[in-house]
Amino acid sequence: MADHGTAAATHGGGGGHATVKTYIQVAIALAIITGVEVATLYVPGIPNPVLVISLLVMSAVKFYLVVGFFMHLKYDHPIMRALFVGPLAIAVAIILAVMALFSAFLLLPRPH
Amino acid sequence: MADHAATHDVTHAVHDPNIGNTGLDHRKMGMWAFLGSDCMFFGSLIGTYLAYKGKSISGPTPHDVFDIPLTSYSAALLLASSLTMVLALAALQDNRVKVAAGWLLATAAMGLHFVLNQVYEFWTFVHHHGLTLGTSLFGSTFFVLTGFHGAHVTGGVLWLLLLVSLAWRGKLDRRDYTKVEIAGLYWHFVDIVWIAIFTIIYLIP
Repeated sequence: MADHGTAAATHGGGGGHATVKTYIQVAIALAIITGVEVATLYVPGIPNPVLVISLLVMSAVKFYLVVGFFMHLKYDHPIMRALFVGPLAIAVAIILAVMALFSAFLLLPRPH
Repeated sequence: MADHAATHDVTHAVHDPNIGNTGLDHRKMGMWAFLGSDCMFFGSLIGTYLAYKGKSISGPTPHDVFDIPLTSYSAALLLASSLTMVLALAALQDNRVKVAAGWLLATAAMGLHFVLNQVYEFWTFVHHHGLTLGTSLFGSTFFVLTGFHGAHVTGGVLWLLLLVSLAWRGKLDRRDYTKVEIAGLYWHFVDIVWIAIFTIIYLIP
């Protein structure tokens, strides 16, 4: 019966899984990055473009860690990856397109 | 005995109606497809918020109302709940059903705490700052985006409590791994949406 859980875990379309140790390491990394994100806001004198890019990069890393390890997408079947990454790319395109439509850019001065 | 179990597992896998020709679980594929579509839903709302950012003709502004420490605490709650969710899954895989139920309950409790924080935040915005859905472009785009996220979290909490209830009644074991995994996928998704919202809406000046 011991194999049943593994079978259940993998026949749904995945390969392996992260271990509990990995989960905890990922959680610690997420906590540290979140702390740095919030702390960055209180550091005076950071140019706006640098601040925005830093925050977006840290957010993207957190996003990858959760999707890759907690959601097991790193270990999952390519079809599952395609089902999520494809629409995610479209979502990012939607955000950029809507911002372009309204001339709204994070890093540039806003027209009034 | 081990051979018998292995044979049973193979037979179970072959005849599992949830496994299609691709060898993938239909339910899991369906959830990933749903999450992909939800990405586009939230992408539209985030894009709209950014498009109208700074274009409100009346206050209050985000700078006036946002409580970054409270929101950071909420973000930490959701991240921690993602950890407890995977710990529940790992416990279920080892057939430690009561432990798994405990982690699921912890996940639901943190999710509920997040929702209550959001209710408090909304209440403060409305009653202390006079910001409502109809006050300004900021009010409408902010409340719609974060409100829909909060609704997702609330749905997730109810789903988790249902799983806890099944576990307590002895109706959940490791054969139900995929059911819990799918609930976990949904739960982690609300976490990653909040990762995006927290940075784009709250942190970026």
